[in-house]
Amino acid sequence: MISLPLLPAVIIDFSGSAIAIVLSFMALRYSRLLARLQPNNFIWGFLFYFCIAMAAFSLSRGVGHIVRILLLFSDHNEMWKQLSPLSGGSNTMLMISAAAVTIYYHKGLDAYKALRTEAEKLAEANAKLQASAGQLQELNALLEQKVEERTRNLSESEKKFRNFFENSKDIIYFCDKDGFITSINTSGRKLLGLKKPVNSVTFYDLFAATEDRKKYVAELQSKGFVSDLEMECRLEDGSTRHILLSANTISDRHGKMTGCEGIGKDMTRLKTITEQLINHEKMASVGQMAAGVAHEINTPLGIILGYTQLLMDDFEPESEMHTNLTVVERQAKACRRIVADLLRFSRQSESIKTSVDLNRVIEEVLSVTEHTLGIHQITVIRDFADELSPVFGDAEKLRQIFINLINNAQYAMSEGGKIIIATREDDDGVHFSVTDTGTGIPAEIKNRIFDPFFTTKDVGKGTGLGLSVTYGIVQEHGGTVGMESPAAHSDASGTSGPGSTFHITLPAFPPGTAFKEDM
Amino acid sequence: MASKKIREIVIAVLVLLVTTTDSAWALQSHGAPEGVYVHQIAHLLFAGALIYLYWHTRRTPTLAGRGWKYLQTFCIIFACWNIVALAGHEAFSFLSAEDFIDKNSWNERIAGPLNFTKVLYFITKMDHLLFVPAMLALVISLRTLYADAAREEQK
Repeated sequence: MISLPLLPAVIIDFSGSAIAIVLSFMALRYSRLLARLQPNNFIWGFLFYFCIAMAAFSLSRGVGHIVRILLLFSDHNEMWKQLSPLSGGSNTMLMISAAAVTIYYHKGLDAYKALRTEAEKLAEANAKLQASAGQLQELNALLEQKVEERTRNLSESEKKFRNFFENSKDIIYFCDKDGFITSINTSGRKLLGLKKPVNSVTFYDLFAATEDRKKYVAELQSKGFVSDLEMECRLEDGSTRHILLSANTISDRHGKMTGCEGIGKDMTRLKTITEQLINHEKMASVGQMAAGVAHEINTPLGIILGYTQLLMDDFEPESEMHTNLTVVERQAKACRRIVADLLRFSRQSESIKTSVDLNRVIEEVLSVTEHTLGIHQITVIRDFADELSPVFGDAEKLRQIFINLINNAQYAMSEGGKIIIATREDDDGVHFSVTDTGTGIPAEIKNRIFDPFFTTKDVGKGTGLGLSVTYGIVQEHGGTVGMESPAAHSDASGTSGPGSTFHITLPAFPPGTAFKEDM
Repeated sequence: MASKKIREIVIAVLVLLVTTTDSAWALQSHGAPEGVYVHQIAHLLFAGALIYLYWHTRRTPTLAGRGWKYLQTFCIIFACWNIVALAGHEAFSFLSAEDFIDKNSWNERIAGPLNFTKVLYFITKMDHLLFVPAMLALVISLRTLYADAAREEQK
């Protein structure tokens, strides 16, 4: 009867169990490596747990089979009978466990996929966010760079204009719509003599002439700008300045005027120089004419005077004809004095120049005139410098200057007053001034006082040549003459007039200095 | 309201069970064949789970590659092993002590005359011829997957 030996099956069972245990643990090792390599990968996690179940199952089953063979073949049937249900039970349990892990795998996988999809979306969104953040950062950096660059440019520009504003020698100002100065540069404050806080000063109040102010306001309102407007500006100390003004209105976005800005150039010095130049030219031409006239008149006048004196010899001194000829002679002599004055004004008369002490010349003049001045209740105040350099000039002509100025002062003080005569010396030369406390000189005739034959005296009381002659003599001596009215130290009490001061400067001629022909 | 009613019903049922039954049914005794049945059912469950894993990995596009092919091979072989084991257990249940000669010795044999059950038992007794290759396929599969993953990580 054919029977089947079970030894091969037993050998396969024994060795297969051992090999299966080894292989199951190898699988467990690889699954563990996988799970460690990518811990967040659910599939590797599942395979790891599956391999644990498989290893446990292989171990349980393999050991069970090996132990069964060993126990049964060593005649320990009873022991195996006790162990058999335990081995079978654990095998069953581990098979169910492995099956359960496998069955629930898809649920985990779905969850993992959903999580992974969300994670990928999140990663994508994060990447986009990072890209956006990067772009934003770049833009921000660019913006910061631009802001920095523009701030620097703005700062440089501000500095440039601030320097221009502060260092300009012209007046630069800003006003609000009511004309109150909101900002003005240092030169402007100095030129306009502003001592009060500038925002309490209206620019309109600086106009000396109402017409100029009206024109300024009208042009700003109608045209929006003012160009080269000449304004006379009255300063806080009462002095005036001539300003050449250009200004523009400042408007808001609705075109409504909110203020104005302007630049003013101080033209006072230029105006003075121009006036002096014009005056000088005028005096030069007048002098030239006067010299011509004097020369032409002088000769026939000499003949008239000569023949008059010859005729006088032919008549008895008590006769009517002699008396008439005396009148003719007197008037002819008066004409000659006028002609002589004209020649002195036009510097045509001869001079004998020596070193002259002005203090002494003034004293000589005062010794003659002071008595008369006293009669007219005029007090002379001497304010002489102790040590005064001499001047090189004609003493007689210099004496004439003082006589003319003192006469004019006396005329201006019909009710009495004071004459202050001062001398001093500095690098520019020797200065002397004659100040009176009289009626002063009106502004409208200031430019004409040195014109020949211009006088405010009544007819017959003056020829109008006194100041012209003074001017001519000063010019001949290389000096300058100026007038100030009201006088700088006019009496504020009001008991006397504003007065006037004549300033004369002559070149100093210190002892030992060589004489120059062109002086 | 509904939860309150359910709670009342549950309490009423519990009270009835405790107070009105003649004998307690809290525990049920298990006979000897129950363990065999459970074991056989476990084999079926395990085989079904492996076939499911095979099917799922085949239809999932992201689980493609050589490693997954080996895993699918493992699933098929191991599912087959489960069926073989189940068949072996069933065949053994039809055999008696007289069907074996020199039982539990190195000379143990299946006594003749041979029939289907005896031959089936003899063949299924060598189930490790499936078990070991299946485990080998699992090892190769995991090694391949690990190598691929490591290569991917290195990138």
